[in-house]
Amino acid sequence: MHTTTVRSPRAFGPTRKSFIRRNLPYFLIAPSVVMLLALIAYPLLFALRSSFYFWNLQIGPEPLQFVGFENYVQAFNAFDFRAALTNTLILSMLGTTLEFTFGLAIALILLKALPGMNVVRALLILPTTIAPIVVGFLFRYLYDPGGGLLSWLLQSLWLPVPAEGILGSPSTALAAILLVDIWQWTPFFAIVLYASLLAVPDEILEAARLDRASAWTILMRIKLPLIKRTAIIIVMLRFMQIFNTFDTVLVLTRGGPGTSTRTLGYSLYEQGLVNFNIGLVSAMTWITVLIVNVIVALYVFFAFRNEEW
Amino acid sequence: MTIDIGNMSRRDLLKSASVAALVAGAGSLAIPRRGAAQDANTVRVLSVEDPFFFSMKALVPEYEKETGIKVELESLSYDALQSRLVSAFVAKTSDADVIVVDQMWLGQYLDNGWIIPLNDFIAKDNEFDLSDFIPEVLYSSNIWRGQVGTLPVAAYAQGVMYRKDVFDELGIAAPPTETSEDWTWTKYVDTLKSMEGKSFGGKPLFPTVVCGSQPSPIVHMFTQVSASHGANWFKSFPAAPWDFSPQLTSPAWIKSVEVYRQLYKLSPPEAINYVWFDAGTRFAKGDIGMFYWWTPYFYLIKNSGYMTGKKSDVMEKYATAALPKAEGVPQTVSLGGWSLGIPSSSERQEAGYAFIKWATSKATQKKMALWPDLNYQFSDFARVSLYQDEEVKAIYPYLDVQYAMMKQGNGKVTRPPVPGYTAVESVLGLTLNQLLTGNEEPKTGLERANSLFESILKGNLMIPYQKDSYADSLDGAKALIAKK
Repeated sequence: MHTTTVRSPRAFGPTRKSFIRRNLPYFLIAPSVVMLLALIAYPLLFALRSSFYFWNLQIGPEPLQFVGFENYVQAFNAFDFRAALTNTLILSMLGTTLEFTFGLAIALILLKALPGMNVVRALLILPTTIAPIVVGFLFRYLYDPGGGLLSWLLQSLWLPVPAEGILGSPSTALAAILLVDIWQWTPFFAIVLYASLLAVPDEILEAARLDRASAWTILMRIKLPLIKRTAIIIVMLRFMQIFNTFDTVLVLTRGGPGTSTRTLGYSLYEQGLVNFNIGLVSAMTWITVLIVNVIVALYVFFAFRNEEW
Repeated sequence: MTIDIGNMSRRDLLKSASVAALVAGAGSLAIPRRGAAQDANTVRVLSVEDPFFFSMKALVPEYEKETGIKVELESLSYDALQSRLVSAFVAKTSDADVIVVDQMWLGQYLDNGWIIPLNDFIAKDNEFDLSDFIPEVLYSSNIWRGQVGTLPVAAYAQGVMYRKDVFDELGIAAPPTETSEDWTWTKYVDTLKSMEGKSFGGKPLFPTVVCGSQPSPIVHMFTQVSASHGANWFKSFPAAPWDFSPQLTSPAWIKSVEVYRQLYKLSPPEAINYVWFDAGTRFAKGDIGMFYWWTPYFYLIKNSGYMTGKKSDVMEKYATAALPKAEGVPQTVSLGGWSLGIPSSSERQEAGYAFIKWATSKATQKKMALWPDLNYQFSDFARVSLYQDEEVKAIYPYLDVQYAMMKQGNGKVTRPPVPGYTAVESVLGLTLNQLLTGNEEPKTGLERANSLFESILKGNLMIPYQKDSYADSLDGAKALIAKK
């Protein structure tokens, strides 16, 4: 007689089920944690370790010796690093301030139901979608002293253009880099702020108008407070992005003339991918990370002082 | 079902994350190495997109047909190539079977064991003729510590290009085609000054054009002036024992900066931002009287833009001349260019060598020169026989001038290909760029650069030099060539 033994599902069913249920949160967050470790934590820890070694791929393929804080000392003593830090801070501070200001102005205009606004909104996003390196080449032609549109425009307006060209003079080159960034990223602010402003309830605005509040008062007392969180976040994100400015500098000026447009991003590229000084570039990376984090922490602390988030 | 993440302890979270990371790591081991699964009948070539690349690429189908070997030819920009190669070397992955090597990378690649010496291949190859190569080129670009690390696919010297019609109209004597004691940098500057403030064809004329962009472009151009003036970068290199104490404060360096400053003053002011091609295309525009630059520009300026194939305004109106020299100093010409090498990680080194042999052969190089597309854009020969080839000379009439410059070349003196070169080059490039725009005295700027050189070289364990020196000389290179 043929018999088969059928095990009761209870034999291990509930155990497996409860194991899955107990550990489901871990399974769900595991991919994110792995990505975080692989893409952020590991490279940073690797860089931290490397920053204490003399390791230059042009001299030898492996780290040659432990040098303590020597790479950090070398980074701070390089005069071009100090110039790069100064330029980066100028670009980041001015860039985010101006881009936010212009972006807000554009967003407020977009709120008006003017003819052709749909087309404008669609066109507005274009600069943000272009790769920075392409934007760099585009502006290289625009700044060309021998017939570039921007040079010609400035001359037509009787504004002085340096003989070496806008990119060739230490007095105007950094401003030229800043202008490129403003051109490319102001629309980003405009679109995000416009979307936030759309979410401001009409009833509140209507009530304010009935109370005869001026447009300025409505902006400062109602609109801005209501979009404050979004504004703080995008300013922070953009600040961190500008802090790493590199591509436009590479294409437009290579950090010159002199050190007038050198940025931390460009210095990191030069030390890492041209000089292959892994120890030094690791130290510079950590200095940059610390500076950005201190600034962002202070910014967040003050910006959200009276907020819950 | 609800998930209560709040009940997870941090330790539990980290534990599960660590396990997940380990799993991910183990999974990565299963990923095949890049290039490992390639067909044995394929050769992968990584190149830079300099002029030689275009004509070489055009001839690859012919090579494939002859040998039955498929060539995967990929081109990258200079920086991208360097970073990709080094990444592959460090990761010990097989990214290519043949790579294009700049002369400045040779020592680093050989010392680190990233490329293999070709000596054994050459010794075993009865067909291979090393003696046809210009010794100065091999010495400058291919030989390191007595090993042939690469073979030249495109060799560059530097030379002068000038507008015949401008010189005729202004009554200026044409510069000589051979090096002479009368053709000095002082005379060169004086000749340029005689064009200052002049117009030609109704347009303002700039006497010359230089590269001002940092770091490499300005260093590439400036070091021709400094080499002519006998300026050395280091106390002792390439002669043994190697001593890398920097020598930037010598009178020769100061004089060279003064000359280069004068040249910039006679150039379009925007040249402060000019890279290699900017200077060349500016001459092709037609408002420059005379300039000196790498010899590929002898043919590149026939076109209106880089490899466009469209004839430039100066196509029939320019001629070439010898480089000026400094008074009482033997001439040294800057040599550069590109060579082919075999990565040690390649699994098809024999196939790699076969491709190198083909690409650098007399026959292939001649075909590259005779390739008519893009308006004949290759004459960067490293072989003596091609400078004597009448068919080639008919297309490139300046080859005698170019060969004369090659024969006076010494790339190991003009831009010493020492480990860590790029770090000191960036300091020199920045300093020169600042000296062109500012009012700083050359001596002060060079003293600053000298002390930065010293700290970089000490930091890179080059002062005092801790490895074995090698008595590197042209005679030694010639002896090595004669052995084959």
